Amino acid sequence: MSRLDRWFEGLTRQSARRLSRRHWLSRFGGVLVGGATLPLLPVARAAEDNAMGEDGVRGREGDPKRCEYWRHCAIDGFLCSCCGGSHTACPPGTEMSPVTWIGTCHNPGDGKDYIISYNDCCGKTFCGRCMCNRNEGERPLYHWYRNNDLNWCGGASAQTYNCSTAVVVKTAQEAQPER
Amino acid sequence: MSNRAKLFGALSLGACLLWFRAAAEVPPETVGQVAELPPMAGAHWLWVPDRLFRHSILFDGDSGRMLGAIDSGVQITPKPPLWSHARKEIYNVDTIYSRGHRGERKDFVVIYDSRTLNVKGEVEVPPRAADTGTGIALVGLLDGDRFLVVLNQSPGTSVSVIDLENRRHVGEAQTAGCAGVFPAGPTRFGMLCGDGTALTVHLTENGELDRLARSKPFFDVIDDPVTEKGVRDGSTWWFASFEGLLYEVDFSGNAPAPKEPWPLFTENEIESGWRIGGAQHLAYHRKTKRLYSIVHEGGPGSHKDPGTEIWVYDVPSRNKIDTFSAPNLIAPFLGPQAGFDATGMLGSFLSFVLPNMGVHSLTVTQDERPLLFVRHSDLGAVGVLDALSGEHLRDIDEAGLSGALLVVP
Repeated sequence: MSRLDRWFEGLTRQSARRLSRRHWLSRFGGVLVGGATLPLLPVARAAEDNAMGEDGVRGREGDPKRCEYWRHCAIDGFLCSCCGGSHTACPPGTEMSPVTWIGTCHNPGDGKDYIISYNDCCGKTFCGRCMCNRNEGERPLYHWYRNNDLNWCGGASAQTYNCSTAVVVKTAQEAQPER
Repeated sequence: MSNRAKLFGALSLGACLLWFRAAAEVPPETVGQVAELPPMAGAHWLWVPDRLFRHSILFDGDSGRMLGAIDSGVQITPKPPLWSHARKEIYNVDTIYSRGHRGERKDFVVIYDSRTLNVKGEVEVPPRAADTGTGIALVGLLDGDRFLVVLNQSPGTSVSVIDLENRRHVGEAQTAGCAGVFPAGPTRFGMLCGDGTALTVHLTENGELDRLARSKPFFDVIDDPVTEKGVRDGSTWWFASFEGLLYEVDFSGNAPAPKEPWPLFTENEIESGWRIGGAQHLAYHRKTKRLYSIVHEGGPGSHKDPGTEIWVYDVPSRNKIDTFSAPNLIAPFLGPQAGFDATGMLGSFLSFVLPNMGVHSLTVTQDERPLLFVRHSDLGAVGVLDALSGEHLRDIDEAGLSGALLVVP
């Protein structure tokens, strides 16, 4: 057995003794190794890429629980689909802010560009799941309605931020500046 | 030696040992002691605000030791603590609700004694303080430390002015279409606007709105906007655009005076994909006139991506003079959680094999031997570099869990 193997074995045993099964690092490690390996399996990858998702889009770009979902091109926050709501509905007990920022995203399903309204859900603290930050067409703070840094719960009755939705407003006249 | 002499010697030795043992006992201590900070803030101190713990920790960058902390409200991120060295006070703008995360909203400027970190007062302000994921350019302490300015979003824009000497909210001024608070004097501050202009807000000596003065348009909001993450020297602010142009804006006159921008990247560097990016992505050292810029290789829309390199510029000559490597902060973040020493062999090994996620934010101390602090928004560790040589000196671990701000007091 090489010295490196012995070192790793010692490290693993030491780690197993010190960490409870529920310790976050154990889960982190599992997610890191398992999460990184499983999608590499050809069957899993092919199944995911071919699964029909929302809006007639296949694969991750059609999955509202993924950052890659096509509507998420300018989102910054926790995805409401992972928080008890959906990409168009807030989780129970929260309130959808009526004012928001917008993005222009390209739907690979029909080839059209859409104006997306990223209404925040408000009144409970951070959901904490499926954090996603994409900034295609996002603009700085002084360009309010294109800025995704802001807590847009400013327009709701309770302004604690919970998660963000991605609602289609209508088809766009032109693509976002980056396209 | 006689038997009596031996016995005397043994007894003497025993007595000495007993005496030493008694002398080594820990004496009883006083219950109820509370530490205080030194009278003056250290040149290498650093605030690290955290979104999840909802407080700002004060660290000593030389030792990495935590010195204390102040709490924040329940906004997305704590706002940067503002330190008046003259008045020996710290100001924090907080949003709170009457029932924890719900109920009636109230916003306050909370006033701390800068030695005890005890709250010594507060000023209630309109419950509209703007709240962002980064916390950058939302509040400003004007020169002379009398007036504090808070950016509001309701969702229209305005600013609140607070008179710290008289502990009162002076008033709210409408600044439609402009955002950011960039202090530029005792009674003036700048803003950036959605039409590609800048604005100077002039206050009277009592802190009321005197007048607004707007520049001509000088940047393209859609095609190549400047970020609001600017850096300051006196009444001059520098802002970088998405495509890497550095704009200098002089706020010393009536209206802002922008100068012709200059490129941070050569054409070859642009073709190779180098771009500015991050959260607090610029820092400036006033004495050496050095600008530090976090850069990465990416495409359009990557203006908030972290970078693994920090490019250093001499601003007067407009030359890039150095390239620093951002440290890999994964091991210092994981070390305390997993029970290994990040400075040991395992930490070094992990830093070598794990991908460097880069850094979103940086800031620099303003002394003769400056330190450069860097952080990734989602790793609770701060890297400490020699700001002149770029040498990675140490990491500050257990610096929270999430946040984009780094504030030198």
